[in-house]
Amino acid sequence: MKKQSKIAVALMIGLPMAMLTSCGGEDAPIENVDEQQVEEVVEEVKNESYYQIPSPDEMFGFIKESGLKYNKEALNPIQNADAYTDPRQQALNFGIYSADLAYTAAFEEYQESIKYFGSIQKLADQIGLSSAFDKSLVERIQNNLDNADSLVAITNTSYFSVVDYLEQNEQGDKLGLVASAGWLETVYIVANTAKYSKDKAAVERLADQKLTMENLILYLEKYADNADVSQVLAWFKELEAVYAQLGEESTGSGISLKKKEGGKMVLGGGSKIKITEAQFNAIKDKVTEIRNNIVKTEA
Amino acid sequence: MKSYKKLILATAIALTPILSFGQYCNYFHENFCEPAENEMYKPNGQSKSALFGKGQTSELSVIVYKGQDYRISLCMDENLGSGLEFKVYESKKVKVEKVYEKKEMEDVYAKCESCGGTGTMDGDNCWDCNGSGQVATGDQKEVITKETKMVEERQKILLYDNTQDNMATELEFTCETTQRLIFEISVPDGGGSGSSKGISKGKGKLMKSSDMGCIGILIEHMTTPITGFYGTGF
Repeated sequence: MKKQSKIAVALMIGLPMAMLTSCGGEDAPIENVDEQQVEEVVEEVKNESYYQIPSPDEMFGFIKESGLKYNKEALNPIQNADAYTDPRQQALNFGIYSADLAYTAAFEEYQESIKYFGSIQKLADQIGLSSAFDKSLVERIQNNLDNADSLVAITNTSYFSVVDYLEQNEQGDKLGLVASAGWLETVYIVANTAKYSKDKAAVERLADQKLTMENLILYLEKYADNADVSQVLAWFKELEAVYAQLGEESTGSGISLKKKEGGKMVLGGGSKIKITEAQFNAIKDKVTEIRNNIVKTEA
Repeated sequence: MKSYKKLILATAIALTPILSFGQYCNYFHENFCEPAENEMYKPNGQSKSALFGKGQTSELSVIVYKGQDYRISLCMDENLGSGLEFKVYESKKVKVEKVYEKKEMEDVYAKCESCGGTGTMDGDNCWDCNGSGQVATGDQKEVITKETKMVEERQKILLYDNTQDNMATELEFTCETTQRLIFEISVPDGGGSGSSKGISKGKGKLMKSSDMGCIGILIEHMTTPITGFYGTGF
């Protein structure tokens, strides 16, 4: 890439700026944009902190392996998609349906996947994300309906391309709505499918969302000036307060990332989040309440 | 000819937002970071690409889950130099006791022996100075009060530093406890061409375009494979 990309970078910054600076006079020498001018162009860069939210497929891949059964009742019915008319509702439910799609794909519910993909496509058009869902992607999904791994990979590709698109187009506020609703739907599905006494691994993973919650709140706070994000942030702060009740238990050794037998690096030690049945139910109730605010349709 | 130039100019200006610099880094990690040879690894949604300048340090906060293996692969544009510093920290909230000092100015009141009054307050100040209550001398003194509060602070513990590992651009590990990690990525300043003319300006830094480029961080995950003779029945 390297040399060509260097030139491309220089041109991307340099060309428009050099042209803009040429606006001053009638006789501005537009054609004299040379390499020297490009080299002098400056751009401000700042140290940044990015807060990442795991995508829904990571959770669903795990809970499927842990033995949790598919629960269709937990999904937002596709018929609701037409009822979402305001942009905030559309962005949030785009996140909800993206998680539902990841769920159906992880559990190899192929026909459901294609239906949910249709709902996502519809909402993507409405919120200006249609470029992430082109015709070839739909065809790839249809052609891979009998291949679980490919279907999961393609649905991931569509989700990741939306995330990339929103990030690179500096629509972090919209991404905040999509990612937070997607995350909430994964937690909602797990909380409404797992049994506290039976599904230990899924319940532990639900408790671990306390850490994801921190990233989510920090991410949303960056865009709190946006009224829609601010509303969602208020809901998630209520959920954070419920998660704050969960205790932590030391594993007996300090956290470390070091080589163990066989030369494999292992991240271990530190503390582990504990959850009681009452706390599990409290999280389930709060998540359901917030999720209902998002998916409800006007009667 | 002039109207032709104006048309090009107008088109270029109209395209400026579309060709923003940020978009140049789009999908960089997918296109240039080396994926795992092991096909069990799946791309993780927390991967990221971003625009960096020489001397810049940024942090990526990610969640890694118990029972999963992770593989991190870094890639960068050549014009940023040849080495990328990569550190991994644990980040956690801890409750710490903090003492807050409050300084206030208070009036100094006349002492009993100086006004012939009676009573005491704060040592030997008079309640009643010549029958007219407390009398301020006109001076003030600084009074410091201390208050102890429990506050939440974020602590970072260094777990890995690639400068101690031959500037490795790949890291693979098994996660035994769910953690919130900070990946800190730094582009060394002044390497490469040696022609850096960055100008400090506040917290940001003005950079030449040739001192900037994309960095990608590809994260992949898989369920930790179970090894050994589990479930063989013997």
